[in-house]
Amino acid sequence: MVEGVVELIKGNFSDVEIVIPEHQEKRVHISVEKEKVKEIAKFLKDNGFRHLSFITCVDWIDEGKFELVYGLYSYEEKIVVLIKTKIDRDNPKQETLLPLWDQAQTYEREIHEMFGVYFDGNPGLTPFILEDWEGIPPMRKDFDSRKYSQITYDSEAK
Amino acid sequence: MKTYELFIGPQHVGITGNFSVILELEGNVVKKATPNPGFLHRGFEKLMEMRGFIHNVPIVCRICVPDPDPNEANYAMAVEKLLGIEPPPRAKYIRTIVLEFSRIASHLFTFGGHAGSIGLYTIPNWTISDRDFILDLFEMLTGGRVYHIFIYPGGVRRDLPDGFIEKAKDVLNYLEKRLDDYNKLYFDSYMFKKRARGIGIINKEDAIEWGVTGPNLRASGVKADTRKDDPYAAYGELDFEIPVLTGGDAYDRIMIRRMEVVESIKIIRQALDNIPDGPIREKVPNPMRFIVPPGDAYVKVESSKGEYGYYMVSNGKDKPYRVYIRGASMTHGIHILEKLLPGNYLADVSQIMFSLDVCPPEIDR
Repeated sequence: MVEGVVELIKGNFSDVEIVIPEHQEKRVHISVEKEKVKEIAKFLKDNGFRHLSFITCVDWIDEGKFELVYGLYSYEEKIVVLIKTKIDRDNPKQETLLPLWDQAQTYEREIHEMFGVYFDGNPGLTPFILEDWEGIPPMRKDFDSRKYSQITYDSEAK
Repeated sequence: MKTYELFIGPQHVGITGNFSVILELEGNVVKKATPNPGFLHRGFEKLMEMRGFIHNVPIVCRICVPDPDPNEANYAMAVEKLLGIEPPPRAKYIRTIVLEFSRIASHLFTFGGHAGSIGLYTIPNWTISDRDFILDLFEMLTGGRVYHIFIYPGGVRRDLPDGFIEKAKDVLNYLEKRLDDYNKLYFDSYMFKKRARGIGIINKEDAIEWGVTGPNLRASGVKADTRKDDPYAAYGELDFEIPVLTGGDAYDRIMIRRMEVVESIKIIRQALDNIPDGPIREKVPNPMRFIVPPGDAYVKVESSKGEYGYYMVSNGKDKPYRVYIRGASMTHGIHILEKLLPGNYLADVSQIMFSLDVCPPEIDR
């Protein structure tokens, strides 16, 4: 039950903002400070949320923040918990989740490439999908892909 | 012994799509595998941020080619959650029919690929031609064979045409009969058992820890299926089983898909028989001013590959602020391959990949 999960988190962590989204069953969204992410992820993992579904990033350029979103799933409770945290856009650094889940590697590598977020303690942040990319990370909001493709591929626009 | 590097791909023997793996071999035994994706990167997530909510519908299906409909369903569901609307019951049933046919079509592809990779070359010819009967149905229903652009926020694009139910039942009967033929040549064949048993084993604990989902997870003994655990479309009202096997090897991963085809046939028959009357779409905003209230939602469906999710963020404008696509192959194709391939013979590399059912366009997006 969603309420049980909310109680569980509230009982163990005080400074966490919990939202149960409207119209969405079996979902709990929690927002935390970036230092707390690993602790909460470990706590949830020990309490049945063993499946790391995904890690992703949202660029809130107007606020000057990146928002990292971690999706955890419990096979017993059948509930998805999204852990969200905001980090500075100028100095995007976050502690890696590698000690908890090996497979965090794939997601962290992708976010590092597409958003330029640096994961402290992850030794394998090598290029992933892009090849010989030298520009700014392309999923950032200030990268204009239309302009880029015009300059790169349209000979008349040059 | 001296090791050497071998490049496989991007036209790949073990996968439907462009993908490459760099193998480090000693003799014919794999020592290290480094997946190298990126050949199908089309920047869908970025594209979607620049197009209106309704204008994204025609592009999402292109994210996974063999199994396109989970994308459409996910995208539609994410927008519906943010708008706070529910599609009408008839639309939900039609979605279920489309999604299950898509699953069977995708599994047939996998059977063909896997059988081909172990030298049973007749099976690919059979499965690909049988898949065409499903594509005929899709053409009748949606106008498109591979990409359907059919499920959209609020419902589906068209009602079932006259004669569709009868034709769909004929195809199901035919497929059911064909499974016996496949048995004789493939599933019961000595060669398949000899080659696939004990290859690429994932045990139950590792499967959960490594983020394996879908049929691959169920082949390792975990009973989990989004269709039951977090029902969407009409799955909550239909009666079906979740097959589970415990071997966790390439053999079980293929056999579980065969069992799923049987269940899918069952689901479609029920949906065709019990489909309610009524409208097929809910009222949605004007396509030119399709504004979605701010918020975020994670929705997921059970695709033929595993957990397929969309995380959508809206900031109250007419375009999505961010769409993240969680493909099941992101884990299966990168992390699991790195873990499974070392120690296996070069000749088994392609069948391990096919047994995992990796879809590269889902990784690159």
